[in-house]
Amino acid sequence: MEDMLLKQARALYKDRLRIALAAFIVVFSITFYLFYNPEIISFGAVPPVGWNQGWTQGFAVVASVNTIGFCLSVALIVLIFRFWSWAFLPGPALTYTLAILKGILGTKTAIRHTYGKKIKVTLENGLQFDVNCRIKEKGTDEWFVYRLVSTQLHREQLRNIALRHGFGVKNNRLVANISNNELHHRTFLLTKALMLASPSI
Amino acid sequence: MEDEAKTTSVYELVQLMSSLNDTRRAILLALAHIYPRSVSGVQLSRLIGYSGKSRSLYRGVISHLKENEMIQIDQLTPKLYAIRVNNEHPLLSVLVDLCRTNGESARKLYMKALEEE
Repeated sequence: MEDMLLKQARALYKDRLRIALAAFIVVFSITFYLFYNPEIISFGAVPPVGWNQGWTQGFAVVASVNTIGFCLSVALIVLIFRFWSWAFLPGPALTYTLAILKGILGTKTAIRHTYGKKIKVTLENGLQFDVNCRIKEKGTDEWFVYRLVSTQLHREQLRNIALRHGFGVKNNRLVANISNNELHHRTFLLTKALMLASPSI
Repeated sequence: MEDEAKTTSVYELVQLMSSLNDTRRAILLALAHIYPRSVSGVQLSRLIGYSGKSRSLYRGVISHLKENEMIQIDQLTPKLYAIRVNNEHPLLSVLVDLCRTNGESARKLYMKALEEE
């Protein structure tokens, strides 16, 4: 069973990908036109000796300032797309995540959403953990998976506490990769584990 | 006193198991019943009735269970893995104990499923 919000988010993301691809084709053609329609400015590269005239003319077009500009613009377009897919979570998925976190942690807990699909949670006792979301897990059919990472904790019993709550330990942090239907329960257990591992007690 | 500690562990085990999703729960239950036997990825995905590819089961689920030290994986050959439940895990050892004392008939079912190949 999958949550309605996540279903919507997935459809939305797929639609946006299609739109982005269509837009990319259009923008690519326009960029091509803009850079090669004006006069070709050569930067003085000399074609190898012995080429016939057709090849030499082609070389003059390829080895030109226009090509450099064109490649830079395409790289910029790709970069913008990469940033977009790195930074933003589809709206419904964000609503789902925040609703669950607020529901389990209460309204007093500070929940801050930052770029890069990351949500920072600060508990009342000052301990923090991050909830990182990935839209799709590579190589599987799983959508919207999360990675929970706590702040560094220094306790002798840390590993025991972590294991007893279903977490692993990496660099003194509690970590776990979870699927979206586990978000509620495992965040709850992480909060409980953090309370136990808190140095103030 | 010892009884109390055991009850606490069982309580924590129930919490842990209910925090996991269907697939992970099924894996741990099956592996705990057949412990100390280990299974390959393909056998495991058949044992829990997983519909997807066993490779996607590995990447999405088994590697994560391993990160949380709930299961152990021995690589026999580059493509063959032996997967079994981690009996040194403080809670899963309780589960393995419970399965051993109470789960005789369930184990028979699991074993039968493993033998039919």
